[in-house]
Amino acid sequence: MTELSYLLYLLAFIIGSVLGLLISYKKHGEAFIINKIDIVSLIIAIIGWILLFNYALLPFISSYILIAIALFLIALVFGMRPGYGRKETFLGIIISAIIWIISYILF
Amino acid sequence: MNLMANIIINVVIAFLVGSLLLGFHRKVMARIQLRPGPPIIQHFLHSLKFFFKETSFPKTAAMPFYVAIACMYCAIWITAVIVGPISYGSLLLIFAIYAVYKIVEHNAGSSSGSPYGKMSCVRAVFSAAAEIPLFAVLVIIFFQTGTMNLGEIVAYQSANGPLIFSIPLAALMFFILLVSKSPYSPFSITKGKDIISGYETEHFGVLRGYMMLSESISWYILLWVFLTVFIGPLSLLGYLIGMVVITALIAIINTITPILNPNHSVMSQVSIAIIGIGGSLLIMLIV
Repeated sequence: MTELSYLLYLLAFIIGSVLGLLISYKKHGEAFIINKIDIVSLIIAIIGWILLFNYALLPFISSYILIAIALFLIALVFGMRPGYGRKETFLGIIISAIIWIISYILF
Repeated sequence: MNLMANIIINVVIAFLVGSLLLGFHRKVMARIQLRPGPPIIQHFLHSLKFFFKETSFPKTAAMPFYVAIACMYCAIWITAVIVGPISYGSLLLIFAIYAVYKIVEHNAGSSSGSPYGKMSCVRAVFSAAAEIPLFAVLVIIFFQTGTMNLGEIVAYQSANGPLIFSIPLAALMFFILLVSKSPYSPFSITKGKDIISGYETEHFGVLRGYMMLSESISWYILLWVFLTVFIGPLSLLGYLIGMVVITALIAIINTITPILNPNHSVMSQVSIAIIGIGGSLLIMLIV
C-alpha cells in the first residue's frame, strides 16, 4: 500500500510537471526575460505547498488524495519552463511553512 | 500484495524516481555552470520519446545480438529491483547483476559494429577491471556483519548503528562506484563525449528507449543499495531524501571534475579500491 501511494504521488508530480511545462511554453513563447511574479502561478504554488505541509488540518479528506493534489499543484508551477515559476515556488514554501508553524503552535 | 503487482509497482517507481533523479542531476550541473538547464522531467520525457521514434538498424549490426543486448540490459536491472527493494535478497546477486551489466555494456558497443561502439567496448573491459574491485566492498561488509543478506544487514544496523560509521572507507568505495556510474562522471570513459555516446551511439528508437529506462532503474537501484547497506533502515521518504542528497553531491563532483583519460580513470579507481579494502581491514583489525 505504501508503494502504491508513492506511485500515485510520483504520477501526480510528473503529470503536473508536464502540464506546467506545456502551459508555460504556450504562455511564454518569447526569449527568456527576467519576469515579474505571475499571480495565478503564485496562488497555485501557495495552495499546493499549504496542502502538502498542512494536509493534517483537513482530516475529513484522505491524506493520500490531499498529498497527490498538493504535488500536482506544486509540479504545475515548479515544472514550468526553466526560469519561470521559481519565485512563486519559493514564496509558496515560505508561506506554507509559516502556516505550518502557526498551526503547530496553536494545536 | 500480489507478488507480480509488487514487482510492477516497484519497477515503475524505480524508473520514475531514477529518471527524475537523473533529470535533477542535469539541473544541478547546469545551475553550477550558470545555465538555466532543462526541467527535471527532461530525462523522463527523453526516455519516453525514444519509444515513439522509428527504430532503424545499422547495416554493420550483429543481429539478433544487437536487439537482444538492449532487452538483456533491461532484464538485469529489473532483476535487481526484485533482488533489492522487493525481496531484500543477497548482496552477492546484486554483485552478479553489476558484473553482467559490465558485460552488457561491453557487448552493446561491439554488437553495433560502429567504431565508437567498439572503442567504448574496449573501455568497458578496462572499467570493469576497475569497478569490480570497487564492488569488493562486499567482502568488508561480510567481515563486519557476518552476512550477505540485505535484510540481515539492515537488522544488524538497527542493532549496531549505520555501517557508514563503522566502515567508512567501504562506504567511500561504494560512493566512488556511484560516481563512476553517473552521467558526465570523471570515470565514465565508456560514454565519454570523445566517442560520441559510447556503446549507445548506434542504438536508436525503442532499443534506446529500453536502454534509457534501464539506466534510470540502475541509478535508483545503486542508490538504494548504498542507502540500505550503509545508512540502514529507512522509510520510503528517507530513501527519497537520501537519493536526492547523494545525486546532488555527485552532480557537484561531476561538474567540477573533467573526464579522466581511460588510464587515469582506471588507475584512480583501482587505487581507491586498494586503499579502501586495505584501510578497512586494517581498521577492523585494530578496533
